[in-house]
Amino acid sequence: TGGHTTEILRLLTCLSESYSPRHYVLADSDKMSEAKIRSFEQKRAETYSKSQFTLDRIPRSREVRQSWISSVVTTLYSILYSLPLTYKRKPDLILCNGPGTCVPVCLSAFLLGLLRIKRTIIVYVESICRVETLSLSGKILYYFSDYFIVQWPDLKKKYPKSVYLGRIV
Amino acid sequence: FRFKDSLAEELRSADLVISHAGAGSCLEALEKGKPLIVVINDKLMDNHQLELAKQLHRDGCVLYCNCSTLVETLQSMDLSALKPFPPGQPEKFASFLDKVFGLQ
Repeated sequence: TGGHTTEILRLLTCLSESYSPRHYVLADSDKMSEAKIRSFEQKRAETYSKSQFTLDRIPRSREVRQSWISSVVTTLYSILYSLPLTYKRKPDLILCNGPGTCVPVCLSAFLLGLLRIKRTIIVYVESICRVETLSLSGKILYYFSDYFIVQWPDLKKKYPKSVYLGRIV
Repeated sequence: FRFKDSLAEELRSADLVISHAGAGSCLEALEKGKPLIVVINDKLMDNHQLELAKQLHRDGCVLYCNCSTLVETLQSMDLSALKPFPPGQPEKFASFLDKVFGLQ
């Protein structure tokens, strides 16, 4: 969604074409991100002509401030979609930065890893808005990600297994 | 206007930006080098939105007030005391990922 998309596209700006093809996963209710993504990829194709990307949508896993219990149910419902999608794409790397949508995708990849179907490296970058506390997605994925990146030193102190590179967006 | 795709035009010609504490709005203004006053709405605010605004204030990059103190802030502000906001470095992230995948 919105801010998350802008941040993640910034993270992608310096990546080489080794990180290709890029598979974007959006919440079905997200109206604005698709345009931003297409614009980014179009610009990218001007430099890297063989650049490729796909776009898929899954049900939104949680509304802002949705209750904990109903969030578990809606997330499980999203996993019904994200699991076959992740199985189909079999990504080497999942990069995410915190919208609820990333939780079912990462959990699906984690599951496929446990089942020895595909080992995906999960890299989570917490939003620059998070200076002192983690988002709910962050709190969950801190335990499931391979690399958990924070952008402010306070969070590095609180979450010692995280990686601090300074501000990267 | 209600919603525009981008406020880039308006930002470019502004001398001062007064904004809510949404990260996108703050960062956009700061990156364009515009002096920024962040107005916190205590009633509407999500605690986590405050985190960035507070940090930016601690770093001396923005002025900070709430709806009732806005006028006073505008009257007594010293914009020259605001520090520039250094840009983020996505190249550090790319470098990190390259190391992870042995691409360096």
